[in-house]
Amino acid sequence: MSITPTSLGRRALLQQTGFGLGAFALSQLLQSESIAGSASSKGTLAARPPHFPAKAKSIIYLHMVGAPSHLDLYDLKPELQRRNGEPCPKELFESGKFAFVRDLPNLLGTSTDKKYQFTRSGQSGLPLSNLLPHLQGVADELTLIKSLHTDEFNHGPAQMFMLSGFGRFGRPSIGSWLNYGLGTENQDLPGFVVLITGNVLGAGSPAWGSGFLPSVYQGVEFRSQGDPVLFLSNPKGMVPKSRRAVIDTVNQLNREQLLDIGDPEIATRISQYELAYRMQTSVPELMDISAEPTSIHEMYGTKPGQTSFANNCLLARRLVERGVRFVQLFDQGWDAHGSVFNNIANKARQVDQPIAALIRDLRQRGLLDSTLVVWSAEFGRTPFAQGKNSEGNDTKAGRDHHKDAFTVWVAGGGTKGGMSYGSTDELGYTIAEKPVHVHDFNATLLHLMGINHERLTFRYQGRQYRLTDVEGHVVRDILA
Amino acid sequence: MNLCHWVVTASLLVQFSFSAISNAAEVGHLTFEDDVQPILRRHCYRCHGSKNQEASLQLNLRSAAMGLADSDEPIIVKHDADASLLILRTEGDAHGDQMPPDAAPLTKREISVLRLWVDQGAPWPNALAEPKHWAYQPITRPEISEGHSSKTAIDYFIARRLKQRGLAMAGSVDRARLIRRGSLALIGVPPTPAEVQRFVDDPSANAYEKVVDRLLESPRYGERWAVPWLDLARYADSNGFQADQIRDNWAYRDWVIRAINDGLPFDQFVVDQIAGDLRKNATVDQRIATGFHRMTTCNVEAGVHPEANRVNQVVDRVNTTATIFLGTTFECAQCHEHKYDPFTQEDYYGLFAYFNSTPLEVKNTSGVTWDFYGPTMELPRDEDAARRHRQLNEQLARLEGDRKEASQASDEEFDQWLSKLRESHEVAWKPLVPENFESSTGEEFTILDDGAVLLAGSVPDTVEHVFTFAYDQKITAVRLDVLTDDAIPGKGPGRGDSQRTNIILNEFTCQHLRGGKATKIKLQDAAADFSQSKWHVSGAIDGDRKSGWAIAPQFGKPHWASFVLAQPMKLEGDKDRLRITLSQFYGRGRVIGKPRISVYSGDTTFLNLDDSLRELAAKKKLNKADTAKLRKHFNKDNPRIRRLDRQLADIKKELQTSKPDTTLVMVEMDQPRETAVMIRGDYENLGQKVQPGTPAALPGLESIERTGDRLELAHWLTSPENPLLARVTVNRWWAEIFGTGLVSTLEDFGTQGEDPSHPELLDWLASELIESGWSRKHVHKLIVMSDAYRQSSRVTPELLEIDPTNRLISRGPRFRLAAELLRDNALAISGLLSDKMYGPPIMPYQPDNIWRSVGRNQPKWSAAQTEDRFRRGVYVVWKRAAPYPSFINFDAPDRGSCTVNRGRSNTPLQALTLLNDPAYAEMALGLADRILSDAPANDDASRLEYGMQLAVARRVSTYEISVLKDLLDREREMLKQNESMISGRTKVPFREMSLRFKDPAELAAWFAVANALLNLDETMSQ
Repeated sequence: MSITPTSLGRRALLQQTGFGLGAFALSQLLQSESIAGSASSKGTLAARPPHFPAKAKSIIYLHMVGAPSHLDLYDLKPELQRRNGEPCPKELFESGKFAFVRDLPNLLGTSTDKKYQFTRSGQSGLPLSNLLPHLQGVADELTLIKSLHTDEFNHGPAQMFMLSGFGRFGRPSIGSWLNYGLGTENQDLPGFVVLITGNVLGAGSPAWGSGFLPSVYQGVEFRSQGDPVLFLSNPKGMVPKSRRAVIDTVNQLNREQLLDIGDPEIATRISQYELAYRMQTSVPELMDISAEPTSIHEMYGTKPGQTSFANNCLLARRLVERGVRFVQLFDQGWDAHGSVFNNIANKARQVDQPIAALIRDLRQRGLLDSTLVVWSAEFGRTPFAQGKNSEGNDTKAGRDHHKDAFTVWVAGGGTKGGMSYGSTDELGYTIAEKPVHVHDFNATLLHLMGINHERLTFRYQGRQYRLTDVEGHVVRDILA
Repeated sequence: MNLCHWVVTASLLVQFSFSAISNAAEVGHLTFEDDVQPILRRHCYRCHGSKNQEASLQLNLRSAAMGLADSDEPIIVKHDADASLLILRTEGDAHGDQMPPDAAPLTKREISVLRLWVDQGAPWPNALAEPKHWAYQPITRPEISEGHSSKTAIDYFIARRLKQRGLAMAGSVDRARLIRRGSLALIGVPPTPAEVQRFVDDPSANAYEKVVDRLLESPRYGERWAVPWLDLARYADSNGFQADQIRDNWAYRDWVIRAINDGLPFDQFVVDQIAGDLRKNATVDQRIATGFHRMTTCNVEAGVHPEANRVNQVVDRVNTTATIFLGTTFECAQCHEHKYDPFTQEDYYGLFAYFNSTPLEVKNTSGVTWDFYGPTMELPRDEDAARRHRQLNEQLARLEGDRKEASQASDEEFDQWLSKLRESHEVAWKPLVPENFESSTGEEFTILDDGAVLLAGSVPDTVEHVFTFAYDQKITAVRLDVLTDDAIPGKGPGRGDSQRTNIILNEFTCQHLRGGKATKIKLQDAAADFSQSKWHVSGAIDGDRKSGWAIAPQFGKPHWASFVLAQPMKLEGDKDRLRITLSQFYGRGRVIGKPRISVYSGDTTFLNLDDSLRELAAKKKLNKADTAKLRKHFNKDNPRIRRLDRQLADIKKELQTSKPDTTLVMVEMDQPRETAVMIRGDYENLGQKVQPGTPAALPGLESIERTGDRLELAHWLTSPENPLLARVTVNRWWAEIFGTGLVSTLEDFGTQGEDPSHPELLDWLASELIESGWSRKHVHKLIVMSDAYRQSSRVTPELLEIDPTNRLISRGPRFRLAAELLRDNALAISGLLSDKMYGPPIMPYQPDNIWRSVGRNQPKWSAAQTEDRFRRGVYVVWKRAAPYPSFINFDAPDRGSCTVNRGRSNTPLQALTLLNDPAYAEMALGLADRILSDAPANDDASRLEYGMQLAVARRVSTYEISVLKDLLDREREMLKQNESMISGRTKVPFREMSLRFKDPAELAAWFAVANALLNLDETMSQ
């Protein structure tokens, strides 16, 4: 019986025989289209070099689901406070699209209560709300973009637009684009991991899906309850020793099959079963934060075994440390149509300390330069008041969805830090200078990872698709 | 994850130097058509093709390509790649900007091919001198020349191509493998051991054909072939987006299965789905079929703009139609002219116009709430259900008549009631000052003169307030006031949160104390000035600690609740006490800040009567409206009417639950909408008006009856003049059966797609489809009857070198099963598969917390405890925001949009799924039971052989048996020492499921063997 080449064997064969394989080389050459076709229908997560050298190797992307009020956290508008309660200028209101408010509303300035005041923070003097005391402590790491705008004003479509550059389903999310473009450093873990607090966002799992890209690039949710990765633990009554025995049997029979049939896919299958077995120990280890020192727990505010945003921030660091390319955190609960001041204070309290801790921790480990931390949401909130909740009942003042101007920030990963970019008008309603569209923002994130957004393409339905559609300009002023 | 697929990557090939290629050329057959033009098409034609000639350069025209560039330099110099701009400009930027300027550069490999071609003299056949895209040309049935030895036409084309490359077809696969391959391909479940044996032993010449015919007539055939169609149709059971609620479409899925099983001609299959409703005397089935285009996602998020949602849906219908039936990427033309293919924006909106006249699919139901809406139809039902429904409706009519009569009758009673009402006074509630008050958490309190108790101090999470009263009068009703006070943060009435001063009263208990004995006083008819939605005051006397009375969002003002005693009672103040307990268990300080209790001793008929009614009754002369209003109120208290109302409610409830099932359909509005070009695709920025019409570059509508509606479009799509439908369709079927299409870009037959590997075969199959009367079964039979299909899939290293991805069909197909079929296959092997067909979607086992998105009315997952748990994957509920996870792990799409070609990945998550998913553990248990119960003999070897045959059908080697036996023995040994594991492995997933084999220890050992069998690469591959 002749030995059928396995994956490795075949490569070795190729290297040994060099260029002697004329017919083979030509057949490869001539088959190149279809090989590319089959490669792209499966994909590989092997690490690939970027288009150009870049500092950032990973992204930790914090998405605040529901959309926080940037006006009450990052973009203070004294004029808005002064005109609090006045009717919203008609021409502004009528030029926009809003989810809920239909009649001319009144302006709503940030509360003048002491706890909502802003403080110039860090060496850079970046003004940040006192609701974010810990973040004020790392102000010099932050680059605020105060002039972001998007195309969609409802949660589901806007989440898809922010994350996939398209307001409907079917396109790959930014994490899967990067996974496709760069592969990942640690072959024992997925290249794109999703961590969630609260309910899953409205767009659902397509928000971390791979669209038309091969499905290996999609995000894998690591859950805080039950199996961290679905189906990681053995069935009831199956101990690791039995699991090993079953895998050995399966692989033994698969090797026999490989020898007989020669389909290289069987060789891959064998290696995937070995990897699955390794993941059964490596993933629980990764998810177990109890061995972290007390100082770290105090810094983040983490408690082992809990489901919390803080725990997810710490896990994000552990994932990035292990070479995961893209870690996406979703945190639900920011959609304050009513009682925005209460909401923002509560939510800010939940995330402020862990996010600041994450930045400090990455810095102290020398990882912040190679890790880009992103704070974002699907849109911002209106400078005018909304007084009803989603059931139509009167509530304390809240804010509606606002797509035309909002604030996001980035830290580390080759960004300047200690600065803000772009600005809104005196009411925070429209962009006054240096607008940044979602496509520009995504182009910039890819750029920071060493990717030319115009050249990271995937051919589907005869078109070279990109994350940024046919638009997007890198915001160069924020690059270090 | 290590996904080191066996793929020769570009980086590997880059290592090849020129010598390798030149060397190759000596033995190779580089052709312009197969090798060079695809590269030019892919990279160059969008700017230098028929549609655009940047820098006056057109590379798809031989005369132009062989001429000079703007700079007067030659583009292609035969035999001199180094002097050809084509090479220089694509290789780098030494001679101007590197081409293409706006996309990924050509790979080294592609440049090498171009170089090689130029150096060979750039041969460019006459036939291809001018651009003419093959896919838009009419289908011509290719001639099959005489004197070949191939058994079928398919084999003729495949053998000819193989011969060109110096190859021949592989030998035939053995019969056991063949019947398994054919069964999985045609019906998606493996053959039983008996079916295998019968085929292996059948000496007749048409043994295989008999098997194929049987499979094509199996009801399983439709279930298997519905799966890829439902991907195209983006069939799902939920809306998608924020409120991803379940909706009823499953009748459409059932229609697809039936239509395929019944052999509905494919052209009719298409017409029914696009425009079944518009057919003359449309049948129920034809209307159900139109559910096809109701499968679009729908956003019912609170802030949705209905027109934006509608336009998105129509866009999806246009794009899906073009993708499925024309293999064309039409999407680009939504905003601008198609860059590569001959389609304009007007073409786009011409198709758009066909779909533009259906009603809105969201409806504003209250406030800012939008609901999924749009045309549905009731499904026909069986006779029993229909009869019961008729009966109920008759009863309903009778009772409603009775009620009407009753409400008109009893005039006398009404007059009595009215005079009583006139005599009644405003209810005088008497506030009581408690003799004693206690707070279970020891709150500070002050009893005020009016009987109210003002609470202070730290706010408890939960609390009970206990009042004791001495009172000596008759009591017919009691009342609780929850009052506001400036001393309470936010004024109250709740004291826990100054912003949300809610109270939640879970139980209001009233007791009669005498001689140390407490007797509960029964309360009824709870009323309040206001109750929060879902927190009605009646919850405070229902004995349920979870329900209760709350008042959000009416914060900052006082509220009251009253309760009527079931029996009036009189206390004797010297021996009796009245005790009232306010239980507030909700938590988070939703507790009352200032309660007060009052009592009433009068007639409770008019206890909570609205003052306006009393005023009305007091009027001297009542007009008709006044009487009607009073009468309505009186009726509420009339026992006969109350009884009738109860009966009516019961019937309505049964009618509700016995309502006919419904499904979504398309209907046309009476007044068609006008359609205009949307400038840059923006629905609020309209350009010139457009009439319904088909793309100008494709054959016209001359032979079609011009109805200007979807039916016209459907007839055009299925007309013999449209060359695309048949080609695109047979190609997808080929890909399902062989693993790859003859055109590998199943979704794109445009100029950017791949050329067919066997163009004549493609056209021959397309013409067979049309000439057979669009018979799917005919074409499927042709394909699986071919020798090409019956080849062994064994591959030698030599063959792998020459035909690495089997594009030449030099061997039989072998690939991993699609997600649903993988599960079907495992269920069938384990003996658990239910053959129950049709009906509402089912829920097998799924881990907790998969369905947990935001939004209203989210459905809950509850795994079936019946055979539904083990039905085929095509029936599993498909929720777009959270599809069935084990399917997702095997490349199933979310069905948010049309999917033509699922990937086929090979990942560790798949290994984990098949090894550990409790659903697969259930199957392993089923398989263990089946092996132990049904194997032809009871020794280990026979049983192992039987198990292997269930899994892979073929004959098993002794080596394989020995490997499995080894596992079995080790597991038996292990279980002897760990008996506690036995029950974990052998516990049935639900009570009604029973195991036939009764020795749990053996079952547990065989569980491991079954687990291994279900994980073999061969088991999961077809």
